Amino acid sequence: MKETKIKGRLWVLTDAEGRLYDDIDTDMIFHNRYLHITDVAQMGQYALDNLKGWQDFAKKAQAGDMVMAGRNFGAGSSRQQAVDCFRALGIGAIVAESFGAIYKRNAINSGLPILTLPGLTEHAHLFHNGDELEVDFATGQVVLNGSQVFQGEPFSQVQMDIYQAGDLFAYGKLLGAAV
Amino acid sequence: MGLTFAEKALARKAGLDAVVPGQILVVRPDRLLTHDNTAAISKHFYKIGVQKMANPDMSVIVLDHVVPASDEANATNHKVIREFVAAQGIRSFYDVGEGICHQVLPEKGHAWPGAVIVGSDSHTTTHGAFGAFAVGIGRTEAAAVMATGELWLRVPTSFKIVVKGHMPERVSAKDLILHIIGDLRADGADYRSVEFTGPAVAEMSVASRMVLCNMAAEMGAKNGVVEPDDKTREWLKGRVAHPYEEVHADPDAVYERVIEYDVTNLAPQVAKPHTVDNVVPVTEVAGTPINQALVGTCTDGRLEDLEAAAEILRGRHIAPNVRLLVLPASREVLLAALERGLISVLIEAGATLLNPGCGPCLGAHQGCMAPGEVTISTANRNFKGRMGSKEAFTYLASPATVAASALKGVITDPREV
Repeated sequence: MKETKIKGRLWVLTDAEGRLYDDIDTDMIFHNRYLHITDVAQMGQYALDNLKGWQDFAKKAQAGDMVMAGRNFGAGSSRQQAVDCFRALGIGAIVAESFGAIYKRNAINSGLPILTLPGLTEHAHLFHNGDELEVDFATGQVVLNGSQVFQGEPFSQVQMDIYQAGDLFAYGKLLGAAV
Repeated sequence: MGLTFAEKALARKAGLDAVVPGQILVVRPDRLLTHDNTAAISKHFYKIGVQKMANPDMSVIVLDHVVPASDEANATNHKVIREFVAAQGIRSFYDVGEGICHQVLPEKGHAWPGAVIVGSDSHTTTHGAFGAFAVGIGRTEAAAVMATGELWLRVPTSFKIVVKGHMPERVSAKDLILHIIGDLRADGADYRSVEFTGPAVAEMSVASRMVLCNMAAEMGAKNGVVEPDDKTREWLKGRVAHPYEEVHADPDAVYERVIEYDVTNLAPQVAKPHTVDNVVPVTEVAGTPINQALVGTCTDGRLEDLEAAAEILRGRHIAPNVRLLVLPASREVLLAALERGLISVLIEAGATLLNPGCGPCLGAHQGCMAPGEVTISTANRNFKGRMGSKEAFTYLASPATVAASALKGVITDPREV
């Protein structure tokens, strides 16, 4: 079984005024100029390189780090590179107020943990880069610096099953499906 | 209790009498649409360890994103796809020059009422205009569908958008959907099935309904749909040969929201940089200088769109220092436009004709912007940096507004030219 509670160093995606970014679209996460790349390992270096103030994210991020954003993270294109670039960097989890519909499916199917935290925007000022964030996928609890607790949405059953299996392919194999 | 379109379509597909929102179903889609990203998907596919697709006849592949290939990397991807198509025995493959996947798929008879269509492109929602349940998926999923012929879907809750009134002169479906997205916001319909209905939608052409469903994706919708009627059946005649059973929402279906709009006094709308929900009436941005104007894309590259542009530009010439790019959505559209003389009208007016395809919409080639430049486009996205430089600006509008703006060199209300 994979860990369902993970801890990591936090990156809070804020704009120049320090406000949590809403509507971070797939072009900001993984710009269309890199769409010809088909090797996942090559995608990490371009993560967020079109988000103002975060162009150097891939250089700063380390495996196990956590990412936080506002509403509608991953809006726009169905491009899975916008999920895979975080997987390539080994990002532990993405926590946001809400996610774009296709982004959410892509993340679930790829086994990238994402957690929806309703009401995050009003508490955004409490979170800072470098904070320690613990996320419990089973209960949806998010713990900031070992003390403050926030209630997010726990993984759905299918999300947990795919996460435990690794990704959709591995999940299909476990089910004994045609794959 | 009645069922919404999505509930009914998915229940039927899953072989159930009824389903409820939130329920997770495993369904076998009727069609799987992929484009240039088939190169990456085929890599995923072979990684699974199967050699043959579960059902090659489900697969529709259209090369449209970077066609003809702009460089070696894209050319190699196209080559990988052609080899994959041959190895898998995929019959519905449309190579460079056929057009944009969301235009080619219905033209070639792959969309019909009640069909479940999944595509590795967010604007797969377009095919709801034919009464299909059509949704965008990612590439892992697309590869899994190739291998198994199945995928999981969560039954969405539904919105019903009722549009009343008659569309005013020089106001189009594009203005309506921009207005709706501005109102509901970019995540306003997140994972919802959106049913467009009402007298104004009934009056619309199939092409205009495609605009509504295409851009439903820009408010986060799972799918958009218009109920099939005689116009739909007429359009599909000669394209879809097999019988199909239409799916209509029940009159007593339960919706999360019912939202009404009246188009009687609707003005042309413009989405300002850099989000699609940053929408204002054209009058608020009129006078903004532009460098480039674009008529085309999966949103507005059909015959009626080229007609709207030609009507404004006939016998006139675009402003100096403006580039007008015209991309018919498909070979079929291009041929029809040639036959009607629309292409010569546009070229005489100073337009540059590009081949059917996605063109500069996603910033890969054929009209990228330099820093500081402004494009007004009939496309569906104006994200920062989407059309080239991150320091460039994209405004979204109808074909009439784009043509009027090209004519004047500044953003212009099409009702005033």
